Amino acid sequence: MTYTVLGRCPRTGRLGIGIATFSITVGLYCNGVKAMTGVTMSQAFVNQSNNKLALRLLDQGFTAASVLSQLVSNDPNFEYRQIGVIDRDGNAVAHTGPRTRGWSGHVTGQGCVAFGNGLVGSGVVDAIAAGFMAEPEADLEHRLLLGIEAGRDAGGQGTAQRHKPERSAALVVYSRHAYADIDLRVDLHATAVEELRRIYTEYKLYEDYYRDRGRNPRGAMPQEKFMAQLHAAEG
Amino acid sequence: MTYSIIARCPRSGRLGLATATFSIASGGRCEGILAGVGICKTQAFINRGNDTLAIELLGQGFSPAHVMQTLAQNDPDHDYRQIAILDRDGNAAAHTGSGPRPWAGHRIGGGYVAFGNVLAGPHVVDAIAEGFLAEPDAALEFRLLAALEGGRDAGGQTGANGPLTERSAIIRIVAQPDYPDIDVRVDLHDDAVVELRRVLEEFKRYEVFYRERGRNPRDAVSQDEFVASLEQRT
Repeated sequence: MTYTVLGRCPRTGRLGIGIATFSITVGLYCNGVKAMTGVTMSQAFVNQSNNKLALRLLDQGFTAASVLSQLVSNDPNFEYRQIGVIDRDGNAVAHTGPRTRGWSGHVTGQGCVAFGNGLVGSGVVDAIAAGFMAEPEADLEHRLLLGIEAGRDAGGQGTAQRHKPERSAALVVYSRHAYADIDLRVDLHATAVEELRRIYTEYKLYEDYYRDRGRNPRGAMPQEKFMAQLHAAEG
Repeated sequence: MTYSIIARCPRSGRLGLATATFSIASGGRCEGILAGVGICKTQAFINRGNDTLAIELLGQGFSPAHVMQTLAQNDPDHDYRQIAILDRDGNAAAHTGSGPRPWAGHRIGGGYVAFGNVLAGPHVVDAIAEGFLAEPDAALEFRLLAALEGGRDAGGQTGANGPLTERSAIIRIVAQPDYPDIDVRVDLHDDAVVELRRVLEEFKRYEVFYRERGRNPRDAVSQDEFVASLEQRT
C-alpha cells in the first residue's frame, strides 16, 4: 500500500523520488537515488538491500532493464516485490510481482515510473503519470509532487469502500552532488501528502538562503534577519 | 543554531547521529554516516561537500584528526564551520571555528561528540552529554533522544532576539552499509523534539514488523491485521 513516482528531468538530468504510503517513516527506505547514475525504489514487501545493489549496478553501466532482471533473479521472493528503475539516460522499467497485495501495477514512460500497490485501481498510477507529465518544463521536485498529489486525488490507497490514509511521504531529488538537492519528509501524519506540500512550500522559501550561507558564510545574514525579510515581503 | 550528538554504541558498534535545530528540514543535510566507517556532521555555516568527503577519507582509513586537517586544508571558510567526526572505533575529533554565532562549542567524550551553536550556553552541550550518558545500557536511538531532550531542557538555542524553538530534528542509526537501521525525522514543527519522540516511539512498534515482512513475505500478516493487533495491546 504505497504509491510512488520516479523521475528524471530531461533538461537537467536530475533524478528523484516522490512517495506516499500508509506505512510510517517511508523516507527511511528512499535511499535509491544517486546523481548522474540513476534512481530506484523497491516497495510492497521491501527487500531493503535492493536499492543500493541497483545503484551499484547502474554505476557499473548496466541499463535499467538489465538491473531490474538482475534484481529479480537475485531474490527468491521476487513475486512479492515491486521495483522501479530509471537509468541515467532516462530508460525506465518496473516490476510488479503477482503476490503484492490489493490492486498493484505500474506505468512507465521515458524518464518516468509511476507505480503502486494496495491502490483503489489502475486510475491511480495513470493519474500519477499524468500529474508528473502535466508541467514538463517545471523543476523535477515540483513535477514529482504533482504526481503524488494526482495519485492521492485519484483515490490513492485502499478500496472504493475504504480509503487508507497517507501517513508518511517523502520527496528526494539529486542533481550533481553526493548529497541531495531536495530531501523532505513527513514520517507520521494524518494527511501526509498535504503536510509534504506544506513543508515543500516553506522549504522553497529558505532553499537559496540555506545554500548561500554555507557557500558564502562571510556575508551571510542571521536566519532571524532572513525570516524578518521574508515576513516583510509577505506583507 | 543547532545542537547535535554523534555517537557509537560500545556494545553493538552501531553508529548514530541526532540533531535538533531552528532551521527546517535539517534531516535532509545529514548524509555523513556509514556503517563500519564513521560519522561526520558539519553544521553552523554548512559546507555541504564536507560530510561525504569525510566519509570517503574515513573509509580510506584516515583518523578523525587527520580527516579534520584535510577538511580544513580544503575549505577557505573552515573557520565558519562546526564539525564533529567519529570513526568506527569511537575515536573523535571536533572543530568549532570562530565564525559560528555564540554560544558555540563542543564536548568530546568516549565514543561521542556533543556540539552546537547559537546555544544558551556551554551548559547545553554538557546537558546533551549527560542525557546521552544517563542510561548506557539503553538502545542507541533512545540514548540519542535523551541527549537531545537534555539539550532542549537546558535551554537549547538562544539567538540575538531570545530563545529559538526546535523546528526540525532527526535521529539516524546505521548498523550495515546498505540502509539505515533507524531514520526518523521531523522537518517542520513547532516542537520538533517532542514530535521526534512521538515518531520514534511509533516507529519502534512497527520496526520488527516492517523488517520481517520484507525478509519473509510468505509469512507476513497484512498491515491491517498488524495495526489491529497493536490497537488491542494498547
